[in-house]
Amino acid sequence: MKLTMLRNLAIGLSAALTLGTAGTASAETLRVGMECTYAPFNYKTADGELAGYDVDVANGVAAIIGVELEFVCQEWDGMIPALLANKFDLIIASMSITEKRKEKIDFSGPYRFSTGQMLGPKSKEMDLFDDAGNPIPDNFNGLRVGLERATTYASWFEDVLPGADVVLYDGSEPLYLDLQNGRVDLIMTNPMKAHLKFLSKEDGAGFEFKGPVVDEEKYFGIGVGIGMRQGEDELKGRLNSALKELINSGELEGYAMKIFPFKLHKDEWGQ
Amino acid sequence: MSFDLNLIAESLPLMLMGIGITFKLLIVSGFLGLILAICLLLMRISGRWFLNFPAQVYIYVFRGTPILVQIFIIYYGLPQFEAVRDSIFWPILREPTGCAILALTLNTGAYVSEILRGGVLGVSKGVLEAGSALGMSARQNFIYLTAPIATRLALPAYSNDVISLLKSTALASTITIADMTGIARTIVADTYAPYEIFISLAIVYMIFTFGIQKLFGVIERYLGRYMEREG
Repeated sequence: MKLTMLRNLAIGLSAALTLGTAGTASAETLRVGMECTYAPFNYKTADGELAGYDVDVANGVAAIIGVELEFVCQEWDGMIPALLANKFDLIIASMSITEKRKEKIDFSGPYRFSTGQMLGPKSKEMDLFDDAGNPIPDNFNGLRVGLERATTYASWFEDVLPGADVVLYDGSEPLYLDLQNGRVDLIMTNPMKAHLKFLSKEDGAGFEFKGPVVDEEKYFGIGVGIGMRQGEDELKGRLNSALKELINSGELEGYAMKIFPFKLHKDEWGQ
Repeated sequence: MSFDLNLIAESLPLMLMGIGITFKLLIVSGFLGLILAICLLLMRISGRWFLNFPAQVYIYVFRGTPILVQIFIIYYGLPQFEAVRDSIFWPILREPTGCAILALTLNTGAYVSEILRGGVLGVSKGVLEAGSALGMSARQNFIYLTAPIATRLALPAYSNDVISLLKSTALASTITIADMTGIARTIVADTYAPYEIFISLAIVYMIFTFGIQKLFGVIERYLGRYMEREG
């Protein structure tokens, strides 16, 4: 009695499994993870539609390699674990290609620059960088600096400016709020994003960039790429040639021009 | 899935660096919350509507909203007002720890006052009548009869609330506080190893819960020493 039940169960299970795999194979769908709150790169418009540079890149690539996309919204600090746990297949979320991340996941070639810049109140004179554009570590001692958890900015600060009092946030919106509220003296984030979302708005009127753009390759990587699980070389090859096609056809420049008056990539990435 | 024991060994000491903050949140807000709860309780049982009614509204509001929402309102919402930032409370509200303690205190105060009220209502009428018959005033009745008996009656439910307060302190990690959970989340974000880190974090919380349970067990036995039957 027990045995037949077990056998039935086993048959049922294997049937379900084969059905499952057959389903994904017939219409290739790739699930794409992104934050969905990282404007202007990936965010939801007032109508609830996903938009932004990352979303355009995802759709552009999907059209070239001929797959359907399904977008999954995922908080930043859980992005790589979620990819590894197979919650989605690709990360197209403005993730910089760094050596540390490469230990866990694989990346396509870059499709956008990756840089950081600090912001602080206009009213406060801060002598943070020397004339050559290098930070002066002593002048950061005791300064409260707001950063997003698990970002390239956080690892840069940890190594280069250990004297700063770093406060870690879960998203970029709270950074601007607490800068306005005076809970932090400085924040560091993506300058393109900060300009668009904060400095150009009424809330950001009393604030400005402090110091130059930082893009030390050791921390910030060569740029932003598409993340995938390791060992998917065939997929990686298809993604890379699709990205090159987007660069060479000028389409990628078009995505950037929708938001900024300049492009966000180097033409040599298309070679 | 491989379970990386080395990683646990490396990250446990880091997480334990957050114990101090976790316990600071637990003890300070637990203590302030208890004082608040006693005030609310006295308002509730005062028999005067202008005291009873505000206390009821307060309890309804704080039990009726998620504690995470309360933390966000206090941390992100209050500083939006210029008046708050200029007030004498700003040094406290500027600090995330101050905000978390305030939210936890206000929340636990609401729950505990109802627990204490349950204890007060559980004191049998006969005891109070006996007190009155001996010529004790209402106030003496409350201090010498109701309060000690109600404390013993409320204790098991109160220990429950202390345990849930311990777990609520983990929410403080959402407003940049580096308590045990906050540190664990940063480690996970750096190592991409959620299972190892969060499971060991869960075990640490369980050990503390066990300690709190034992502590309350001892207090319960002490307060109930007159109730034990002989033989």
